[in-house]
Amino acid sequence: MRNPVLQLIVLLWLAAPLFARAAADIEINTPVIATLKQSMQQRHGQLEPHYAAGAVGLTRDGLIALRDASVLPLSARQPVNALIAAENQDRNALYREIARANGHPEWEGDIRSTFGQRWIGLARPGWWFQGAGGAWTQK
Amino acid sequence: MSQGSAGTDSWAASQLLVAFLAVFLLASAHAAPRISLSIDDIRSPILSARGIRAALTGTRAAQLEITLDEITAQGRVWRNLRFSCPTFRLGERIDCEGGTLHLSGSAAIPAEFSYSSREKTLDARIRTVSEGAGEDWRLAARWAGSAWEGTLTVANGQAARIAGLLPDREKASLAFVKGAIDGTIRIRGTAAGPEGMEIGLAVAGLAFGDASGLHAGEGIDARLDATAERQGGAWMWRAGAAWPRGEVFWQPLYLTGRGHRLDASGRLEGDVLHLLEGRLTLAGVGEVRLAGEADWANGVLRDLDLHTEDLDLASLFEHILKPFLAGSSFAGLGVSGRAGAGLRLRDGAPQRLVLDLRGAAVEDEHGRFAFHGVDARIPWQAQGVSSADIRVGGGRLEGVPLGAFRVPLQIGGDEVFIPHMMVPVLDGEFILKNFHASHEADEDWHWQFSGRLSPVSMQKLTEALGSRPMYGTLSGTIPRVSYADRVLGMDGSLLFRVFDGTVEVRGVTVRDPFGRAPALEADLDMHELDLGMLTSVFSFGSMQGRVDVAVHGLELFDWKPVRFDARVASSPGSYPRRISQAAVQNISALGGSGAAAAIQRSFLHVFEEFGYSRIGWSCSLRNGVCEMGGIASEHSDQGYVIVKGGGIPAITVIGYNRSVDWWELLDRLQRVTQENVQPIFK
Repeated sequence: MRNPVLQLIVLLWLAAPLFARAAADIEINTPVIATLKQSMQQRHGQLEPHYAAGAVGLTRDGLIALRDASVLPLSARQPVNALIAAENQDRNALYREIARANGHPEWEGDIRSTFGQRWIGLARPGWWFQGAGGAWTQK
Repeated sequence: MSQGSAGTDSWAASQLLVAFLAVFLLASAHAAPRISLSIDDIRSPILSARGIRAALTGTRAAQLEITLDEITAQGRVWRNLRFSCPTFRLGERIDCEGGTLHLSGSAAIPAEFSYSSREKTLDARIRTVSEGAGEDWRLAARWAGSAWEGTLTVANGQAARIAGLLPDREKASLAFVKGAIDGTIRIRGTAAGPEGMEIGLAVAGLAFGDASGLHAGEGIDARLDATAERQGGAWMWRAGAAWPRGEVFWQPLYLTGRGHRLDASGRLEGDVLHLLEGRLTLAGVGEVRLAGEADWANGVLRDLDLHTEDLDLASLFEHILKPFLAGSSFAGLGVSGRAGAGLRLRDGAPQRLVLDLRGAAVEDEHGRFAFHGVDARIPWQAQGVSSADIRVGGGRLEGVPLGAFRVPLQIGGDEVFIPHMMVPVLDGEFILKNFHASHEADEDWHWQFSGRLSPVSMQKLTEALGSRPMYGTLSGTIPRVSYADRVLGMDGSLLFRVFDGTVEVRGVTVRDPFGRAPALEADLDMHELDLGMLTSVFSFGSMQGRVDVAVHGLELFDWKPVRFDARVASSPGSYPRRISQAAVQNISALGGSGAAAAIQRSFLHVFEEFGYSRIGWSCSLRNGVCEMGGIASEHSDQGYVIVKGGGIPAITVIGYNRSVDWWELLDRLQRVTQENVQPIFK
C-alpha cells in the first residue's frame, strides 16, 4: 500500500469492465494524468498523517474533506484546509482529464464515483471515509 | 465574541434569580406548613415562563422546591429548571441555605439566598470549589418603591457554567468551553423592566470549540466593558472589547490576539441592532470604522458602512484575505503597501466599494508576474459604470521587465472594460485593445481582448528571459483572445517577425491556463527564417539559406511538448546555400554518434564548407518518441536524406536512425550547442 495512486490506476485498469464500453481502450496514461499523479503522490506524504489522525476523510464522490478539525492545533487548521483544496483540485482535474482523454466527457460522473469507491478500498485501517449514508465511518 | 455572549447570559442568569424571587414571594404570601402553588404562565416584556410550580414541604415547611418547565428571555429558551432548598427559614428574613439549582443538561449548582422584606434586599450566592479553585457568583439586589438594582459579581467564574446556562440552540453547537470569568454586571430598573446596565468582565484562558472544530479558540484573554441605558422603547449602548492574547480559528480565518480592539456604540430597538459608531483596531493591520444595522434575532446583516484609510496590505493579505483564496492561483501572492477602502452595503447587497492603493506591490511566488509602485483608486458601484485610475510603476512578466503604465479601467456591476492600454515592454510596447471581462451569477469570469506588440529587441528579450542571445526584433498582431469556461482561445492568427522571417500561430487553445493542468494546442508555420541568424544564435555551426518550419498539431502539457508533427524544409526561391563542416557534424550527431564518426574518418573533413540544394527534416512526436524523416521527395535505401548536396564541394547527409527519444534528442541538441560555446580556460 505504499503507493495508493499507482495501485489505483492499476486497479482501475483491472476494473475497466466497470466502464460500460470499450474497456480495453481506456486511456489512463496521458501526460496530464502523469503530472496530476505526481503532484498527488507528492502531496500524499503531507496528507497521510491527517488521514491517520482522522482530521481528513475520504468522501464518496472521490474527494477528501476536513472530517474533524479539532484534532489539529488551531494554527494548522487553515493550512490543512488549503492542502485539501489543492488535493481536490487535482482530483477534479484527474477525473475530468480521464473522461476527456477517452473522448467521453460525460463519463466524468462515473469515473468520479468509481474512483471514490477505489480510494476508500485502498484506505488504510483507521482512516475515515463517508459511508453509503454519508456518515463518517472508520475503516 | 465570546465575551458578548458571556455578558448577555450572565445578565439572563440574574433575570432567572429575579424570577425565582417573584415566584417565591407568591409562595411566602401563603406561609403555611404545606403549600403548593402552580402557575401556568407568566409574561413580561423581558421574560416569560411556563409551568411554574412551587412547593413548601417538610416539617414546619422548611423545604422549598421550585420547578419551571420553560423560561424565555430575549427570544432564548431554557427548559426544565429546578431549584430546591433543604434548609429554608421564614421570618423577618427569609434564608435558604445549601440549595441547589438544576438546569437541563448541567450538573447541580449549589446556591443559597437571603431575603429581607424590611431592608428590601436579596442576596443570592453560588459558590463552589472545583479543582482547587474557588468560584463565586453573587447576586445582590435591592429595591425601593418600584425601583430596583441588581449586581452580579463573578470571581473566577467558570466559563463552562455560562455554557451550561446557554439556551439549547447555542449549547448544542458548543462542544466544550473553559476559562475563568471575573467582573460585575449591574442592572437597574423599575417594575416596567430594566432601565440600565453596566458590564465589566474579563475572561482568562478561555478555550472553546464546536463539534467540527471549525470554530474554536484557545488561551484567550479578553475584556469587555459595556453600558446600556433604556430610552423609550430602545436601548442605547456603548461597548469596548479588547483581545490582547490567544488564538481563534473561525474557518477559514486564523487570528491571534495581538491587542485587537473593538469600540462601538449604538441602539437596540426590538430585534434591530443599530451600530451607530464602531471602531475596529486590528493590531498590525490598521483601523476600520463601521456603522450598520443588523437583524439581531435572525443574525442577518442588513446595512453596513465600512471605512478605512490606512491599512497595511501585507498584514491584511496574510491574515485576512489569503485564507479565502486557498486553492486559487492567488493564494501564493506576496503583497505590500498601504490601502484604504470604503464599502456600502444595503439590504445585504453591496452597493458601492471604493478601493485605494498607495505604493502597493504584488508578486507571484512562482515569479510569473510582479507589479510595483501601484497607486490606484478603484470605485465600484452595483449600478452604473465608474472610471478607475490605476497607475503601475513597473513590473515583470515571466522575467520580462515592464515599464510604467496606466490602466484606464471602467468598472461597474459585474463588468470590467479597458478600451485601450499601453504597456512598455523593454524597448517596445504592448497595446491592449477592448479588454472586456464579465461574469454572470454562479459562473467564472470570462474575458476577451485583442492587441499588438510593437518592435521589441530580441537581444533584450532573450537577455531578460535568460536564454541565448538572439538578434532582430519581435513584433506582431494579437487577434481576439477570449477566455471562458476555463478555456483560452484565439481567433485568427498570431503573427510576428523573427530571424528575418515570419511566424504565424493559429488555432491556439489553452485548457485550464491558470489551473493545475494547463494544456495548449496550436499550429505554427514559420516562413523564410534566415538560417545564418538561426545557427549563429544556437552555435550550431554556420549554415546559410532559408527554411520554412511547420509544427502542426502541437500539444503542450504544462508547457512541455507531448505531441506534434514538425517539418523543416528549405524555403522556395533563390538564395546562397552553404553548410559548414561543424553543422554537418552536428546534424549527423543528432542521428547518433555513428554517423558523425563516419564523417570524421572520410575525406570530407578537409573542407570547411559545402554547398547543398535542399534541407529537409521531420519529427512526429508521439508518446515521447520522435519519428524522424528527411526530405519528403528523396528516398535512400537505408535511411532518409536530411541534406541533399548541390554545388562544389557538395555533401549529402543521410539519417539512419528513425526513432529517437524526444528528451534524448533535446539532450543531444543541448550538448551539441553547448560544446560549441564552451569557454576555454587557460
